[in-house]
Amino acid sequence: MAESSPFRSAGRLGSLAGIAIALVVWEVAGRAAGSARFAPFSEVAREFLTVLGDGLTLPALGSSLLQMLVGYGAGLAVGVPLGVLMGRQAWADRAFQPWVSMMVVTSTAALVPLLIVLFGTGFWFRTAVVFLATVWYVVITTYQGARGIDPRYLGAARSFGAGGWQTFRMVHLPALFPYLITGASVGLVHAIRAMVMAEMYVLIGFGGRLQQTGLSISTAPLLCYLLLLMLVGVVATGGLRWIGGRLAPWYEEARA
Amino acid sequence: MPGRYGKVRLESWGPQALSVAVGLTVWEIAGRLVSAAILAPPSRVLARMAAMTASGELPALLAASSLHMLAGFGLAVLVAVPIGFLMGRVPWVSRLLDPLVTAFYSLPTVALVPLIVIWFGLFYAARVALVFCMAVPDMIVVMAAGARDIDQRLVDAGRSLGAGWMQQFRTVLLPASLPFVFTALRVGAVRAINAMITAELFFAAVNLGASMKKAASAFDSAGLLAVLATLCLAGLAVQELLRLLETWASPWRQGVGNG
Repeated sequence: MAESSPFRSAGRLGSLAGIAIALVVWEVAGRAAGSARFAPFSEVAREFLTVLGDGLTLPALGSSLLQMLVGYGAGLAVGVPLGVLMGRQAWADRAFQPWVSMMVVTSTAALVPLLIVLFGTGFWFRTAVVFLATVWYVVITTYQGARGIDPRYLGAARSFGAGGWQTFRMVHLPALFPYLITGASVGLVHAIRAMVMAEMYVLIGFGGRLQQTGLSISTAPLLCYLLLLMLVGVVATGGLRWIGGRLAPWYEEARA
Repeated sequence: MPGRYGKVRLESWGPQALSVAVGLTVWEIAGRLVSAAILAPPSRVLARMAAMTASGELPALLAASSLHMLAGFGLAVLVAVPIGFLMGRVPWVSRLLDPLVTAFYSLPTVALVPLIVIWFGLFYAARVALVFCMAVPDMIVVMAAGARDIDQRLVDAGRSLGAGWMQQFRTVLLPASLPFVFTALRVGAVRAINAMITAELFFAAVNLGASMKKAASAFDSAGLLAVLATLCLAGLAVQELLRLLETWASPWRQGVGNG
């Protein structure tokens, strides 16, 4: 962290160079392969404007993301308290730990056939997939934060006569904050992954459009969809980090 | 990440066994209350797993699925470990590659499926490609973060004692890297197993994926859950294997895996 600040402008130049090189490689490879296999960047850029203006793609993406937020919100609402509980109480750690380790290694895609049997392919199905993909990563990150709270701060709070709620608000919450932001952004990456996967499987929403675009003659629309998804992911996680920095300036320095 | 749990388990497996038992009991009761087509109770899932194992069907499917998983994961390790390490240690490499890695890390890998179909078809090569694409970004991110955080004092000490580049790599950087290399392997293994079944569900259905699809279309939830439980156990077994390997590879660290 410390070393990056004097180089910030050089860093930005380097990143721009990286993007430029990638785009040139993409253009050359695309022209060599032909747009049926790998459309060059120039073609995709033109197509991008068409896709943005077609009045179908962006609304599909928006409604998919809105639906995703339900499962993601539920994942945070369950994952954060559970992670704190496991981090602070030995019994909860022992009781939930086997299930958490099991669920973290379980592939969300493998749950999809079962969830379709349970919920059909509608709203509840998508919400359940996103929830299950999000919650365990939020639990793990919050758990690590809650375990690492310095006992000296807790001792200090106790000796100044802080009550349970006061201790939580003044000590636990500020100490947890970096982990909450990290957990929320890792969870968001997994939520977006799960949303796209679920939609591609049952061919609805944005994921469904993406899957079907793979059948068209040119790969340009498909690559546009991929670019859009990249943008969504980068903006979403970057936005969360920005909010974290604004709400709690100690976030950057405390980040592990 | 999951490594932190390692120590707790050894000290007190009693409460955890209890927790698993309680969870299975709740599932059993719930499974008996609702239709078996929707959620089979664990007793029936276990019986199914035993039957499928005895007939040799389940081990054969798992072995066949492992083939593309291992190939893709192996390629991913070969690419992600050196690139991630360089990104952590060499500032200009990091600046150059960081936007690309961020972009691919943010892109849900499964969205590459249509493109992979165009390039590699629907069979073995496509499955290997998906496993590779799914494991690489996550492993690079872990490797780069770990390599960046190598204790500078160790590097400085090596340099002031006159270690050459190769010597420094072998005696300082390599041992200091082992913990996060293994973290990257564990993260990558989870992703690879994830991709292994995703590939079998999204490309031509074969092996475990075909078995799941068949069970799902027959509303055979016992069969579905048997495959799911097998995948879960395989995932846990791989994590455990990597942890053992880590303890063996770095005997100077006590309580390996505790972040």
